[in-house]
Amino acid sequence: MSSNQIYYVTTLLVYAGVDIMACLALNLQFGVSGLVNFGFIVFQAAGAYAAAVLSMPPDTANGGFQQYVLGLQLPFPLPWLGGVLVGGLLAVPVGLVVLRRLRSDYQAIALLVLSVIANTVITNARPFLNGAAGLSLVPPPLAGLLDTDTVGYQWLFVSLTAIACGIVFAAANRIVYSPYGRTQRAMRERELAAAALGKNLVGLKMTMFVIGGAIAGWSGAILVGFIGVWSPATWLYPETIVLFAALIVGGLGNNLGAMLGALLVPVGFEEATRFLPNFGPPGFIPAMQWVAIGLLVIGFLWFRPRGTLPEVRRVYGDGMAPTPGRAREWTRTDRRSGVSSDGAEVLLRAEGVERHFEGLRAVDGVSLAVSSGHITGLIGPNGAGKSTLLAVLAGALPVSAGRIHLGGVDITHLPAYQRARRGLVRTFQLSSEFGQLTVLENLLVAVPGHRGDSLLGALRGKPYWWAEERELVERARELLARFRMSEKESDYAASLSGGQKRLVEIMRALMLMPRILLVDEPMAGVHPAIADEIADVLEGLREDRLAILMVEHELSMVDRLCDPVIVMAQGRIIGRGSMSVLRQQREIVDAYLVG
Amino acid sequence: MSIFISAFGFGLVSAAVIAIAAVGFTMQFGITNLINLAYGGIMITAAFVAYGLNHAGIGIWIGVMVAALFGAVASLALSRVLYSPFQRRGTSHIGMVIISLAAALIVSNVLLAIVGPDNVSYTLADRAAVNAGGFILTGVQIVIILIAALAMVSIHALLTLTRLGKAMRATAANAMLARNCGIPTGRIIDLVWLITGALCGVAGAVSAIDSGSFGVANGAGYLIVIIAAAVLGGAGQPYGAMLGAVLIGEITELSAAALSPQYKEVVAFAILVLVMILRPQGLLSKIGALGPAG
Repeated sequence: MSSNQIYYVTTLLVYAGVDIMACLALNLQFGVSGLVNFGFIVFQAAGAYAAAVLSMPPDTANGGFQQYVLGLQLPFPLPWLGGVLVGGLLAVPVGLVVLRRLRSDYQAIALLVLSVIANTVITNARPFLNGAAGLSLVPPPLAGLLDTDTVGYQWLFVSLTAIACGIVFAAANRIVYSPYGRTQRAMRERELAAAALGKNLVGLKMTMFVIGGAIAGWSGAILVGFIGVWSPATWLYPETIVLFAALIVGGLGNNLGAMLGALLVPVGFEEATRFLPNFGPPGFIPAMQWVAIGLLVIGFLWFRPRGTLPEVRRVYGDGMAPTPGRAREWTRTDRRSGVSSDGAEVLLRAEGVERHFEGLRAVDGVSLAVSSGHITGLIGPNGAGKSTLLAVLAGALPVSAGRIHLGGVDITHLPAYQRARRGLVRTFQLSSEFGQLTVLENLLVAVPGHRGDSLLGALRGKPYWWAEERELVERARELLARFRMSEKESDYAASLSGGQKRLVEIMRALMLMPRILLVDEPMAGVHPAIADEIADVLEGLREDRLAILMVEHELSMVDRLCDPVIVMAQGRIIGRGSMSVLRQQREIVDAYLVG
Repeated sequence: MSIFISAFGFGLVSAAVIAIAAVGFTMQFGITNLINLAYGGIMITAAFVAYGLNHAGIGIWIGVMVAALFGAVASLALSRVLYSPFQRRGTSHIGMVIISLAAALIVSNVLLAIVGPDNVSYTLADRAAVNAGGFILTGVQIVIILIAALAMVSIHALLTLTRLGKAMRATAANAMLARNCGIPTGRIIDLVWLITGALCGVAGAVSAIDSGSFGVANGAGYLIVIIAAAVLGGAGQPYGAMLGAVLIGEITELSAAALSPQYKEVVAFAILVLVMILRPQGLLSKIGALGPAG
């Protein structure tokens, strides 16, 4: 090879490495967590600028032809480290504003707008980072120590890039295939249900946002050291779309897919077009390139929405013998030691709880107590406020007034996930399965305090959390057997029937080993045979001394299971007691039982 | 002081242009539940249509009408060919945002391939028609304000007085329920795209006339200002968009007089961020942007 060809190959390899890192980072954010970071390129740019001004001499040194801040002349690898830090730190304030409060498509738009505006600001604010002209003469890593004009240096740079790529790939793989990655995917599938299982959505999102930002910053730092220049024109917002296109083509949620996409779209597209003959007016070919990227995105989303290498379905092997003597009980019976078995203990107490929607009092001064060893029924006509009450008790909606106590502790202002962690778990009226998780994963994801269900735990690798995982798989399989769902273990939950989804949801709640279960019409729209099974299970849980609050319309079920029963109408409780007593009260019969 | 008085005048014209565009954008969002990021691209394309006609010797106001027609047809085509098929498949909100971003990329780059990256300019012999102590409006600017006023009154009448408007509001509130009540939601949504597309086309043409010189690259800037106005007023709320347009138009022009014109979009963005932090549902909306998109 001539040295020109070698330069071409090494350049291509470095670009490939940078694009692969960026795609892996975006895959963590978008493919795994479902965060649509349309401002991704800003984080790469931030890392590049940071690495540049950390490695360059003060701007007075070069005759003042460019202006910039810092100019610390730090030795390698500090500029790279700076790029990682700045990319990650920038994600904190941006994430706090965007991720905490906004609806997901608003988040995407806000980040897109951020990307455009950040570019405008940097372009116009010249003294900061030299404005539109950008930075040039950025020294490559080890510039003072090595001759950077040799072929050997080119290969050294390629190797450094490859090492960075390898580190990112290994970390991303550990995250994606860990219990932590599973939790992230559950959040991607259905945020509310994940929160109801005790998952801290803000924390999960912020972590992925920061990690993605740090990797993006690193990739920018590598790139700027290689090409030596960085200007606003390098990071216009459509660059982010190229990376999204790469992910969509390669395969969302699959790290290998992200790598493949990086090689096909940014690398393949920009390089392939070099060999096209020039035709049309100047600028015609780049414009057509963008059109092609747009068509590629739309075409893949239509014909192959999961990409070339789709997300891998997680199947657990059969060869997992139970660890003798360590299998845990699957309800929290052990927790009630010290409580006398005859006396029912009040676990959940609401006092004067109100919830208003724009003047409508959906829940209007409700006080109730839910005791262990009882299934408390909650009945009433449509619009009585039953589901709203459940949502308020579970923490999905804040109270407008009143107090809620859980086992004597005031939880009125705790978010849903913290209530779930204290044993207050809710199922939903509408099915809320995590569609692109298998049935077994749906159960596993619910387990609190899993060693592998934190970023650090995930990064420590499979040996760190596998023993616990194996135990949990055993427990989940026992539940599946009890609900006669064993053969569906490795099916995606999205493919189940309505009744089966219901069962999955109840099993998922049980994996949390709750003390109090709030169930919202668990038998609605379910085949009578499955409804019977659900009833059996609920009775079993009552024997295990759980406290259950159940909304149900089917009065025969209420007759069979519930005592006491609470009747609601128009946001208020209009009666309580056993069904036989309630049937004799005129007002209640008029309000509900007849009409 | 007079610089601020004249900026106030500019602000009125900006507000008029933004109002036309933002009402169209927000109605698309409110009724079809889709954030159409190709809106800026269609706007600038319509501006080039009007400019091309003017260049060929046709009067500017006829050009505006043709631009309206172009915007209507192009928007309907975009909906029919691209958005509706994906929405019928049940593509998520986020999927739709990505698709509309891809559409934006395609529209603006096809335009770029045709007209090139250079700015073009209207040459209008236009004199001040109103001049009171620094408050200057040209004849063209007055016509633009009148067009905007006419468009706002028409939209108001459409939404409140006609059966079509009622059907649109019903579709916005709950499309499936509306369909089950016998409202032909497919036709309603087609009409929404035609009407909002026409607003988009008019907005593109008049904003180009107002600014004099424009190019393909302006599309993204338009979009930001429009999004800021729509979100400020409460996304999906036509009256909110009108209010947002007036606020954004005046604030950006006054700040341009105080700071530098380059920061117009930055100021719009700053307002957007403040609204998103302090009142994500916007000034006039009760439900708005909070909570999951499902």
